[in-house]
Amino acid sequence: MLEFIIQNNVMCHAVEAMLFASIGCAILSVLITQMNISSIGFTMSHAAFAGGAAGVFFGFPMLLSAVVTSLATALVMGPLSYRTRMHTDTTLGVLFGTMMALAIFFIALMQSEGRGFDAASLLYGNVISLYREEIYALVVIACSIILLIVIFGKEISAITFHRKMAEISGIRVAPVYYLFLFLIAVNVAFCLPIVGGLLLYVWLVTPAAIVYQFCPTIRQMFLAAPAVAGCISIFGAVAGIVWSLPVGPLTAVLFSLVFVLAVAISPKRKVCRQIY
Amino acid sequence: MTGTDSPPCIDLKDIWTTYEGAAYPVIKGVSLRIAAGEFVVVGGPNGAGKTTLLEAICGLLPLVKGSITVCGREIPKEKIGILCDVGYVIQNFDFHPFTPYTVLDVVRMGRYGRIGWFSRESQEDLDAAMEALRLLRIDHLRDELIGTLSGGQQQKALIAHNLAKKPSVLLLDEPFSNLDVMTRDEVSSLLCDICESGVPVVMVSHAFDSLPRRDIRVVVMQKGKLVLNTTSQAGDVADIIRSAPVAG
Repeated sequence: MLEFIIQNNVMCHAVEAMLFASIGCAILSVLITQMNISSIGFTMSHAAFAGGAAGVFFGFPMLLSAVVTSLATALVMGPLSYRTRMHTDTTLGVLFGTMMALAIFFIALMQSEGRGFDAASLLYGNVISLYREEIYALVVIACSIILLIVIFGKEISAITFHRKMAEISGIRVAPVYYLFLFLIAVNVAFCLPIVGGLLLYVWLVTPAAIVYQFCPTIRQMFLAAPAVAGCISIFGAVAGIVWSLPVGPLTAVLFSLVFVLAVAISPKRKVCRQIY
Repeated sequence: MTGTDSPPCIDLKDIWTTYEGAAYPVIKGVSLRIAAGEFVVVGGPNGAGKTTLLEAICGLLPLVKGSITVCGREIPKEKIGILCDVGYVIQNFDFHPFTPYTVLDVVRMGRYGRIGWFSRESQEDLDAAMEALRLLRIDHLRDELIGTLSGGQQQKALIAHNLAKKPSVLLLDEPFSNLDVMTRDEVSSLLCDICESGVPVVMVSHAFDSLPRRDIRVVVMQKGKLVLNTTSQAGDVADIIRSAPVAG
């Protein structure tokens, strides 16, 4: 898709993968942070991780098993976080621990069988491992997320503002909420091979955390988050390939550095010291 | 106007409701008819089921037994239709200072349920939101972030959010809790006007000094039961609630 700009095939592949993965994740990150469901985000990313690890171990397609596990977790998580009488964080903590344990269990088994390469790519991702069809799938997912945000913009903004007030306004909260969980599940599963199970969570939270420092309204956040995440991801992919550094971890560190910088210069931290 | 000489806007028949997962019913066998243009104050001790009663009227809680009809619509069959028609100002809210929504955004959200899934906001929706802001005298705050306002201003924004809906029934849970005395009187007068226009107002409150000077229906809840249902004047409400019989 971007061959007309980037002549180097490997570089082009890496930039495309990182760019389209980051767009979908960044938009979802705005929803995740504004709905205060970061714990749901990390549980789902680790569910995809566990599913991917199990899939690779048993010889199933990794993507398919990651999608299935992530979706299954979303189905369990929805009722858990929406209806449980127990504190959401507690139930998600249990779920997250279970998923992480499963992922580590299968990775340890693979390592003991001498399949270290499979295990490492699951942990840290491999930006040039994707087939062209998988990059097209990322484009489709990113476009679908944008389309849904545009179509259901008013419902989503009301739900992210206050779930109970949205329900009182007559908005059907549950279908939008489950659609949102479904989008996270699919997006997380497709991004897993690029950035790896351990780092995926950075893409699902940090873009929104960065732009939150500068954007007063949610509309601005929806526009700025993919732009910022796209720039950081492209820079990470290019720098990683040029200097032979692991692209996923490098980009994750870049996200964190930009976040620290954003917090340092954020207008939201300004304190009025003048007495009029 | 009283609850008996016109058809009821809200009709509760022996309702029993509970919260999801609760072991016992929170509302036990309450029957109540509220007509158009009535002003109803729901009183009673903490934990008596006052907020639960309002949530039941909205259809937010599962109905174990009995029937609830609001403006001719029955819960739970027509729950969404009822929610689009009912304004409900909630009690507990705490917006973070950097919540990324302006006051106008919040007030406009009140109409989103009415607009429907695939439709866009019309000029009429925006006009209704602006009118609600003007009624609450917070139109000058329309572009401020909701979380940067004081508790009282946020409370007004939430009332405006519900008025923008142009509700057929207005329910309020402790609407005066964050308001200063002057603003209480303003809001009280506004609620009185809403009542005069035929919309029944049902209010849970412990602040009786700012009630409108008009006939007020006083409903007292205790231990999930309705123990008193009478009509009074604003000045007598506190005494009536204090002297209500104790539920068995």
